[in-house]
Amino acid sequence: MSNSQQIFEAWLAGKITASECEQQLDQNSEWYSRFQTAQMIQRQAKAAFFAPVPEIDTMSMFAQQWQRPAKSNNWWPKLSVAFSVLALVVSLSPLEMQMQDGGLTLSWRGGQQMQQQQLETLLASYRKEQQDYIQTQLQGTQQQQASQLILLKDYLTEQQTKERRTDMLELVEYLNQQRQSDWHYWQENYQPSQARLDTSAVYNPDQQRSGVRKP
Amino acid sequence: MFKRSDESLIEKAIGGDAKAWQQLVSRYQAPLYYFGLRLLGSPDDARDLLQDVLMVLCRNLAQYRGDSSFKSWLFGIANYRAMDMLRKRKATTEFTDDHDFYDDEAPSFEQQLYGQHTQRMVQQQLRSLPPEQRLVVELRFYQQFTFDEIADQLALSSNTIKSRFYAALDKLRTQLELTDVEQSANF
Repeated sequence: MSNSQQIFEAWLAGKITASECEQQLDQNSEWYSRFQTAQMIQRQAKAAFFAPVPEIDTMSMFAQQWQRPAKSNNWWPKLSVAFSVLALVVSLSPLEMQMQDGGLTLSWRGGQQMQQQQLETLLASYRKEQQDYIQTQLQGTQQQQASQLILLKDYLTEQQTKERRTDMLELVEYLNQQRQSDWHYWQENYQPSQARLDTSAVYNPDQQRSGVRKP
Repeated sequence: MFKRSDESLIEKAIGGDAKAWQQLVSRYQAPLYYFGLRLLGSPDDARDLLQDVLMVLCRNLAQYRGDSSFKSWLFGIANYRAMDMLRKRKATTEFTDDHDFYDDEAPSFEQQLYGQHTQRMVQQQLRSLPPEQRLVVELRFYQQFTFDEIADQLALSSNTIKSRFYAALDKLRTQLELTDVEQSANF
């Protein structure tokens, strides 16, 4: 980009004034003439005046594209539907209208019987519900008890085995102690006598041992 | 009075606010019509262009994302439509210069200063430019867009826009000098 172009574009962008631009481009005939032409068109653009703008129906375009149809405030159709529904309900329900003694009576056809039936149905369903609940609870309790009994049996068996083993060990211990004490008793009371007998027996070539040995 | 931004008006219009739409249209109706008038040279064509652009705008109002200014986006649509009209018309007839779209009843100060004659002469010379160059001159001088904005609207590089712009200035200069010589000779 040449320097002159930069100056010209600075003027176009409004960074320098027209007189500054004119002075700086004075030596460059090409850019000077461009500047003059641009200035003339710019003046012409600012002075533009035209005939009035034609009217265009933009509202119908807009309504078609962006506006939703307004909600209808007519309540006759709604009322009509409401009455139709009411008539249907009255005809299907057990509602009765009776003229009696110059008065109008509204009553439910077979009201008590229907209420009784409904009550019985409700009671029966409640009863069944309760029975089912109790049955379920009972089954649960039985299962729980059975499993606890099995656990108790296992525990007792184990305890018995343990106790029996302890008893046997105690018995063996007792026997060992007994033997030990027998040995001591023999050593103390009979061994010296035997030794004496052994040494005094001159004429006893067939010496026999007592047969008692230390355990 | 507080002036609503274009973006706020668009948002309201999308929500169905007819007043916002009306305000938006009235803001750009005149610049678009005059743009068409200068570029196409015929009030009927300018009216068609205006109607077409407003219809496209109405349909695509929700498409505006705010990446560029609304005016730039709108003139992007107008440029495309105008060039399309020019291309179609070129195949049939060349437009005439005798359309008088100046308001004779309300002369402004500038009109008095430069004279209606000069204005018409400049307009004629502008209309003799090739459509691509005329469009760049129109957008730069009359719509006050920067070169970058024009490049964005026309999906071209800024250098291409500048070369078209300077070529248009050179051509206008030559034509205006020729006209001056002819007038001096006639005088």
